[in-house]
Amino acid sequence: MRVSKVIALCLVAVSLAFIPTTGQAAKKDTIVYGTTEKVSDMDTAKAYDFHTWEIFYNVYQGLLRYPAGRTDLVPGLAESYSISKDGREYTFRLRKGLKFTDGTAFDANVVKWSIDRVMALKGDPAWLVTDFVEKVEVVGPLSVKFVLKNPVSYFPSLVASVPYYPLNPNVYPKDRLVRDPSELKGGNMIGLGPYKVVSFKRDEEVVLEANPLFYGEKPKNKRIVIRYFADATTMRLALEKGEIDFAFKQLNPADIRDLMKSPRVKAITGQGPYIRYLCFRCTGKPFDDKVLRQAVSAAISRKPLLDKVYLGQNEALYSMVPKGMWSHDDSFKVYPGDGNVKLVKKLLKSKGYDEKNKLAFELWYTPSHYGDTEVDLAAVLKQQLEATGVMKVEVKSAEWATYRDNWTNKVMPVFLLGWYPDYIDPDNYTAAFAGTEGSRGMGIFFSDRTWDELFTQAQKETDTKKRTALYQKIQKMWTIEAPTAPIFQGSLFVFAKKDIQGIMLSPTLQFNYGPIYSTE
Amino acid sequence: MKYSMAQGLSCPVRFFARMGRRYGVEWWILCFGAAVVLAIILMALLSPLVAPFDPYSQEAGPQLAAPGGPHLMGTDNLRRDVWSRIVFGSQTILKVSVLAAVISSFFGIFLGLVSGYAGGLADRILSLVMDAVYVFPGLILAIALAAMFGPGVLNITFAVAVIYIPTYFRLVRGQTLAIKQELYVEAARALGASSLTILGRYIFPNVIATTVVVFTLNVADAIMIEAALTYLGLGLPPSIVDWGMDLAMGKKYLPSGMWWLITFPGMMISVLALGFTMLGEGLAEILNPRLLER
Amino acid sequence: MKNLFRYILTRTLMTIPMVLILLTIIFVVLRLMPGDPVSAMLGGHAPEKVIEQKREQLGLNRPMHVQYADYIWKVCHMDLGESMVLQQEVTVAIAEKLPATIELTAFGMLITLVIGVLLGAYAADKRRTIRDSAIRLYGIVVYCIPVYWLGLMLQLVFGIWLDWLPIAGRTGPRIFASDFQNTGFYLVDTLLVRDWEAFRDVLIHLVLPSFTLGLTLSGIFVRLTRANMLDVLKADYILAAESRGIPHGRIVYRHALMNAFIPILTMMGLQVALLMAGAILTETTFSWPGMGRLLLERIYLRDYPTIQGVIIVFALMVAFISLLVDIIYAIVDPRIRY
Repeated sequence: MRVSKVIALCLVAVSLAFIPTTGQAAKKDTIVYGTTEKVSDMDTAKAYDFHTWEIFYNVYQGLLRYPAGRTDLVPGLAESYSISKDGREYTFRLRKGLKFTDGTAFDANVVKWSIDRVMALKGDPAWLVTDFVEKVEVVGPLSVKFVLKNPVSYFPSLVASVPYYPLNPNVYPKDRLVRDPSELKGGNMIGLGPYKVVSFKRDEEVVLEANPLFYGEKPKNKRIVIRYFADATTMRLALEKGEIDFAFKQLNPADIRDLMKSPRVKAITGQGPYIRYLCFRCTGKPFDDKVLRQAVSAAISRKPLLDKVYLGQNEALYSMVPKGMWSHDDSFKVYPGDGNVKLVKKLLKSKGYDEKNKLAFELWYTPSHYGDTEVDLAAVLKQQLEATGVMKVEVKSAEWATYRDNWTNKVMPVFLLGWYPDYIDPDNYTAAFAGTEGSRGMGIFFSDRTWDELFTQAQKETDTKKRTALYQKIQKMWTIEAPTAPIFQGSLFVFAKKDIQGIMLSPTLQFNYGPIYSTE
Repeated sequence: MKYSMAQGLSCPVRFFARMGRRYGVEWWILCFGAAVVLAIILMALLSPLVAPFDPYSQEAGPQLAAPGGPHLMGTDNLRRDVWSRIVFGSQTILKVSVLAAVISSFFGIFLGLVSGYAGGLADRILSLVMDAVYVFPGLILAIALAAMFGPGVLNITFAVAVIYIPTYFRLVRGQTLAIKQELYVEAARALGASSLTILGRYIFPNVIATTVVVFTLNVADAIMIEAALTYLGLGLPPSIVDWGMDLAMGKKYLPSGMWWLITFPGMMISVLALGFTMLGEGLAEILNPRLLER
Repeated sequence: MKNLFRYILTRTLMTIPMVLILLTIIFVVLRLMPGDPVSAMLGGHAPEKVIEQKREQLGLNRPMHVQYADYIWKVCHMDLGESMVLQQEVTVAIAEKLPATIELTAFGMLITLVIGVLLGAYAADKRRTIRDSAIRLYGIVVYCIPVYWLGLMLQLVFGIWLDWLPIAGRTGPRIFASDFQNTGFYLVDTLLVRDWEAFRDVLIHLVLPSFTLGLTLSGIFVRLTRANMLDVLKADYILAAESRGIPHGRIVYRHALMNAFIPILTMMGLQVALLMAGAILTETTFSWPGMGRLLLERIYLRDYPTIQGVIIVFALMVAFISLLVDIIYAIVDPRIRY
């Protein structure tokens, strides 16, 4: 019968598919890196996500840079810089003799061209330049001056961010944004950094090779292959099977838990710059009253929350300035404390709320933007707040597109948010939430003249010691006014095969591939 | 006492046996479906008595415990008891699917009667719209509607209800058109009966018999759509216990081999849908054997 | 023949209002949804004025009827517009994802047909036996199993416990579609370049998703085939064949099945909606980069043009398949008058 023949043929084909093929032996000088992140636009004027920035860190370089695993700035493409007396002018002295691969010399004009391009194209991260920089002037062939709108003492950390990176004017188009490297002249991303992109397959694989023209220390590996996974489960299985050398971002809590116990891989953990917190709408009833805000913050019990939702991963956070960042102070631990039910009851009693007349409010979260653990986070928070016996919480959710509108329209009295810093400075963790303007943009609507003045003062101050004191003062004040309540700080997890060395994580998220090597 | 226990029992047993002989397998399918549906409805009504734990309690047991001991179906990562959540979850899915079927049958039958009876341009346009929605994958429309309405029990009910209106509309309109031509309707009209009387007294009773079967099968479909929506993360806030949502939550523990988090909620969705389907199939075969072939 | 041509033409024209109606419904539903693409796209860091500016730029500030007229006008010119979230033509996004969905549904359908038709025919042949009842029960039970749950269970058993099959995606991490991509149908593409390792990889990635889809749909086909076969087996010519001593198996699986096949095929056309709904859910369960996932992702982001584009394509697919089935039926069955 013909039908049976066809079926038999199909069966043969399928069974052939199951015969294992011999896997190619991985070469020692190639490191395979797995991730579930996605690359966005290969343009410093458009990309605004950490994974794409990570590739830029390794392919391009800023005037200043963070060394692998550290949070202190060191000279990059600039040898040094000087600040004018009024703090409004930064003059950078550029490294001599650097050339792009096509022979274009790196000089002050290149820097000015790149910054002007970012300002003109108005891409998503452009505000990191336009909000601060008035203009860029070429002082000499190797000397470039940034004139700022206002004195900003953390300007050097801004300069280390991707939108400030110098690009090759002969490769990037001046008047339009680039998505794929194929749109560049020459078709590949080659800059002044330690690596160059040799192959780019969106959502599949990006291959980097050591850049022979790089002025600094040569990478310890020849080739980095970044492999993109559609989901965490497949990535986890690939790691366990040894198909990738290490995996970074974003594994599920359950996967992390299992991998931590796995004898075949090792874990490298570090503090991330990512923080999660509860926001209060500080305008309108009931949370215009700081006592109520304190009470809600006091009810959060961070450790049990992390145990349940993240299986004990991540770290409890007692200040908006995360651990690992200078000036960090565990102020919320002292007051109002962690799961301090007694205090909650006392505070609420002073405002007339008790077991019979409970403080009732809505707690909002967004279900997919921060991953699928968010539902659990909201459920546990609700349970903790209600366990005080004096609060009644209704959990509500909205997709991210609606969430944003909701905070602008003052719909949400209490809501969950998360924050990745734009630049590495306490200012970005404080003024962004409690400064009048930043606060309005986040739906918090906190406004206080004393606070605004403190922020401006801290922004202008150039002495780090004095700045530290100022930010510590702000963190103390935070526990009283409580415009937001910190919950936890994201930990970074890299899982690697046993033979992989040199992976260094840092709260700046500036992950450098250069020091990574295999001992095999 | 006049009757002994055995006599009292023998009466229903004989009834069942007789029906079984007359209708064959269909009768047993019907009985099985009815039993399943009844059991789950009872579970929903008596949830607080059936469930050993509070479905929201985050101190019910250890974290991610496998089934066994006090936890028949294990616990989840928030230390909640899975079986208790299954028990309470039955309330949500029954409420949504039955209510959705009621709403869509109401609108579908009403529009079908009026449109089919009145005819004309409005009827043609309405039929066109209904046909378009009917042939289109209902799930896609439900997804869009659920996203539009936002999370909430009533919202998801409406999202599910809308996509089944055309099913009733087409059925009822077709029958209305046929019955309209019948001699006795013509006669009634000639005798001066108003349209309302004709619709109410002659057409509606004829139509309603067939819609009963469709209704039961519709509930089964609505169950699957409701669960699909909540599985995709649409439709319900987390403060409600729901099988589809629990399934979606358990999904991320699949690679860790925590089978109980996905096995039980999914199984319950299947069993409930199966109950209504068998009930509907049985009814259909017994009431009107040709109905499902149409 | 001329009549047939006219029939096809009118049937084709009749799909236009259907697509238009669905498009209108979706258009209205999308605009009534809370939230908008600009908010979704820019995240929490962008200042208010940037958002306003972007809205203006995308034409979201215009009255709804103007937006609608503009959109319909563009669609009539085969222009589905550009995504509001990514700088990407909607047609390009769809062209990328559609082959994945078609590959999945085609294989799912194939499995459904093989299982459903064979089991149905067997049940009809052995009617009123225990085996018949068992198969009928299988049909009902399988119909009631949610496709995503079956997918998860198969993943658990074959992907995690037994570790036989991959549970997500169209290719493994070492196979790159861009090396062979041509038509977008990976099985065809890998064959075209004779990359056997890639072919094998693509094939084993298809196994679980297509079986999931195929199994859940096979229930309906068991029932359809059985019902049709019962009718056919009662026919005179079957009895005649039987009396002439033609082997029983040959009669049932060849002659009877062939005659029952056309009605089965037309019923298949009616199940397209079910097939597509199943495909969407299968795609999300197996991280299959097809139309369903595209639709869901973009609904969260409120990417109006892409959502509308996907709906148009789904509507066209439904219309096209039912048209095809009608035409086949019209050609085969002379009783149909057009």
